[in-house]
Amino acid sequence: MSTKIEKIVEFKIHRYDPQNGKSYISTYKVPIRKGTTLLDAFKYIKDKLDETLTFRHSCRMGICGSCGVNVNGEPMLACYTQVLDLGVDSLEIAPLSNMPVIKDLVVDIEPFFDTFKKIKTFLIKPESELTKLVAFAQSPLDLKKYWDLTLCTKCSICYSACPAAIDERFLGPSTLTANYRFILDSRDEGLEERLKPTADNIWLCTSCNSCTLFCPKLVDCSNAIVDERGLVVESGIIPRTVKDVLESVFKYHNPMGTHQSKRMEWAKELNVKTFPEVTRADILYFVCCSTAFDIRNQEIAKAMAEIFNRMDVNYATLGMEEWCCGDHILRMGEKGLFEELATHNIEMFKKIDVKKIVTLSPHCYNTFKNDKPYSDESLNVQHYTQFLAEAIQAGKVKPSKTLKRRIAYHDPCFLGKRNEIYEEPRQILQAINGVELVEMKRTKHSSFCCGGGAGRVWTEEAQPEKRPCVERAKEALELGVDIIAVACPFCVTTLEDAIKVLDVENKIAVKEILEVFREAF
Amino acid sequence: MEKYAHDIVIVGAGIAGLRATIAAAEINDKLDIAVISKLHPLRSHSVCAQGGTAAVMGEKDSYDLHAFDTIKGADYLADQDAVEFFVKRAAREIILTEHWGLPWSRTEEGKLIQRPFGGHSVPRACFAADMTGFHEMHTLFGKATSYRNVNFYDEWFVTSLIVEDNTATGLTAIELKTGDIHAFKAKAIVMATGGHERMYEFTTFSHTTTGDGMAMAYRAGAPLEDLEFVQFHPTGLVPQGVLITEGARGEGGYLLNAKGERFMKRYAPERMELAPRDVISRAEQTEILEGRGLEGPYGPYIALDLRHLGEEKINERLPLIRDVAIKLGGVDPVKEPIPIRPAAHYSMGGIKANVKTETPIAGLYAAGECSCISVHGANRLGTNSTAECLVFGAVAGEEAAKQVSSKSFKEFPIEKLALEEKRIYDQILGREGDERVPVLRDKMRRVMNDKVWIFRTGDQLQSALKEIRELKQRFAHIKVEDKSSTFNTGLTSALQLDFMLDLAEVTIVSALARTESRGAHSRRDHPKRDDENWLKHTLAYYTKDGPRLEYIPVKITKWPPAARTY
Repeated sequence: MSTKIEKIVEFKIHRYDPQNGKSYISTYKVPIRKGTTLLDAFKYIKDKLDETLTFRHSCRMGICGSCGVNVNGEPMLACYTQVLDLGVDSLEIAPLSNMPVIKDLVVDIEPFFDTFKKIKTFLIKPESELTKLVAFAQSPLDLKKYWDLTLCTKCSICYSACPAAIDERFLGPSTLTANYRFILDSRDEGLEERLKPTADNIWLCTSCNSCTLFCPKLVDCSNAIVDERGLVVESGIIPRTVKDVLESVFKYHNPMGTHQSKRMEWAKELNVKTFPEVTRADILYFVCCSTAFDIRNQEIAKAMAEIFNRMDVNYATLGMEEWCCGDHILRMGEKGLFEELATHNIEMFKKIDVKKIVTLSPHCYNTFKNDKPYSDESLNVQHYTQFLAEAIQAGKVKPSKTLKRRIAYHDPCFLGKRNEIYEEPRQILQAINGVELVEMKRTKHSSFCCGGGAGRVWTEEAQPEKRPCVERAKEALELGVDIIAVACPFCVTTLEDAIKVLDVENKIAVKEILEVFREAF
Repeated sequence: MEKYAHDIVIVGAGIAGLRATIAAAEINDKLDIAVISKLHPLRSHSVCAQGGTAAVMGEKDSYDLHAFDTIKGADYLADQDAVEFFVKRAAREIILTEHWGLPWSRTEEGKLIQRPFGGHSVPRACFAADMTGFHEMHTLFGKATSYRNVNFYDEWFVTSLIVEDNTATGLTAIELKTGDIHAFKAKAIVMATGGHERMYEFTTFSHTTTGDGMAMAYRAGAPLEDLEFVQFHPTGLVPQGVLITEGARGEGGYLLNAKGERFMKRYAPERMELAPRDVISRAEQTEILEGRGLEGPYGPYIALDLRHLGEEKINERLPLIRDVAIKLGGVDPVKEPIPIRPAAHYSMGGIKANVKTETPIAGLYAAGECSCISVHGANRLGTNSTAECLVFGAVAGEEAAKQVSSKSFKEFPIEKLALEEKRIYDQILGREGDERVPVLRDKMRRVMNDKVWIFRTGDQLQSALKEIRELKQRFAHIKVEDKSSTFNTGLTSALQLDFMLDLAEVTIVSALARTESRGAHSRRDHPKRDDENWLKHTLAYYTKDGPRLEYIPVKITKWPPAARTY
């Protein structure tokens, strides 16, 4: 290319030599011009600096799916990414994850492609229909229903980013989406047959959204899987654990199997105002089923109330009228139950006069903000980390004690990659004197899911070493930190479970940010 | 060395290769079929095909009309019996792929839409938005992987074709994962390895389309037909050459020069932007050479203006190229014209094959772009290639399947395997020369771009031939830095360059000899079409001193050559 060099970018590339089994990093400096893609940079390195650098590539126009790589922890297509768009001067390039490395940036894609052998990848039609040499009719509207799902190039980026795929039973986002693509195809007549291969693994998905987030062709795998689950639920062939959760929500309006009359038990010793005794407040404190009923997580609910009390905040909860927000339920495929929950909660929001809603759980936050019918209400809702960070900034609250702790913050998927709230949790921790905040290797929108979303916190049945929480806990252990701090009650549950399974309770603890903050108050 | 034996071995897993696989498997489920590809099948260049697949399906259309459009488009060099066969089988392929699940775009009534395309008198291009090749590939792959008697050898690099007594008996291939070379025995081999346009610098082609099959067949004694005819697609995105589909013009896009003029009215007043590709490429090149190209940071270009189509239509019919133009060209076609230039795009020439896809070597079939039957003659119409790959891919599979039932394996000549090992491991990988593959490769591509482009002269071609021959000599002194056995892309780059240098030589020698202008082959020093002397096909045979040329007549059935104007 003939234009001027904009800057020099340093490429630190993970290499692997299968001849001697050695992994090492090679560093190169590459001149970058306007329009230089990552692939252009790799070819520059290979042609001019180091011919041994090995990577896959072919079409260089984002359609063949060859060139997926991890760039500073995020998977993307090398040919379709402009280096200047990345906005940094140093790039760490690694091969895709979840697949064994063959050499340098080339991974073995067979495990990924093998998953497609478990589904049928062409139309299911009676033989008599197929022999007629007349095209099946399909309206443009029917075509539109599944068209977006046909754009998958099988690049395996979603599979690489997927926390559930560490269990080889999981068909993976691409395969489950390809399966659903045929179910949605109006010409297809194979619904029952197509649901069968999903039965033993579709519940491993946590709706972390990494697949949808990183897909270079913008295929919404995450929601395709949710919709596919809806069909599985409808068919009635669901695991016992899923059934129990859904039955609990149906009976008790919460997934915890406990009558709503016990919902405010956690607040026994505290002075917490509730609806309908109170009909006005500045803040509606939306507690969450997990922190209301789970004995361990009740500490979190209490911590928030204590901090509110110390700050003299005028707040109230919905009391027994707080039904499950429905986020997990929606993502488990039970749209009907979700609508019931949402309709009730929205009615309650209308009956209580408040300035804003503050949620403990990112799941409640997420669904209030993004899912209909909640999103139609344009609710003024904050996650508690936003509220607390704001208060710290405004000087309304100040942690006075010094806490000498080495803490790694784990970005919860429903707060971080799904809603882009990254800074506030860190600001709270950094406001505490003595805290040394350490970043996890996979951080911010490359955070690795705790494995609790979309109901998996209740339906988990993978072998321990195949559970995302165990993998994530191991990652934290490598950093030598005292605490994994999280901002989601479900992360607390799964990561604590992982700590127990790994038998490292004496080495590391899992704490909600509120609990750390309360200690320093 | 282990030997692998399969009834049918298909080399290449693009549209033609996968279609042949399905066809062979459908005929006989007891057949042992192997598909060898140096890439995973879904990475094949076929996924880049955008515009559509031509077929006679409507009442306003007829086989004769499609045939005539194709033959006229071919500047009367196409074999008319082959064309007549071809046009009758295209519709069947559309319907079969539809039955397997292809998401063809539809009319309001739910039928397949057909869009206008260059050189076609009637809209007959069936399409799936602007990703037709992509969807054909994924549909075919979805079907081809359902047969139990098909073995896929993904990322195995075929290095040579073994021919004994003018019969194809097998081939040699490197398993890239281990670096080991293996011998394959086969009763029938189908070559479906695609084109070779990567020998040019500015091309719409993937990095991996290096004409391997054409070169291997040539070295094994099969003639390469009409290799001088290289199609230059009018709209390659500047600066990488990425394809912007002709469908953009089919939907109504304009080509503008620096004056904002729709200059095609001076070259093809009737068809304008939908004239055949060679006509438009020459027009664009002329505009640029005469100083009416727009100036940009990557040199002169022509503007493809789609703004008047509106955002809705662009998103519905041309979503891929919109994304590509934004991500790789830095322009949004909804708001600005796309900078384009003619790019090397298709090889009308290839391994000589008949209507049954049989080559002059017994047991060797060729289908798709790597073959020359000849359906496209001196210039191919858009949407006829994907159609050709489907039609003749099916024919190749059917023919191979029918013929192998009566055949037996021939013994694999061990000495040829030994020779091949020596060539690859000693001569190419083992040599400690001072030449580098990327340097020679870039030089070759520059020579082809400068001297064997749209407008050619005898002097330039002579000069190019000299330079290519020099490069071939220099190739004997290369050093491949990567000595590992696993996934050695340094070695595959060298092997691919070796193939391309042979094909470059054949292209130039054939072009030098043809002293006329026809279709995509334009000689400034011989600007007229010369039916009296040149209504014939070039056949290039391998000799160690360079290609030896022969000629065979064109088959004319219904349409005597006439003036070609649009």
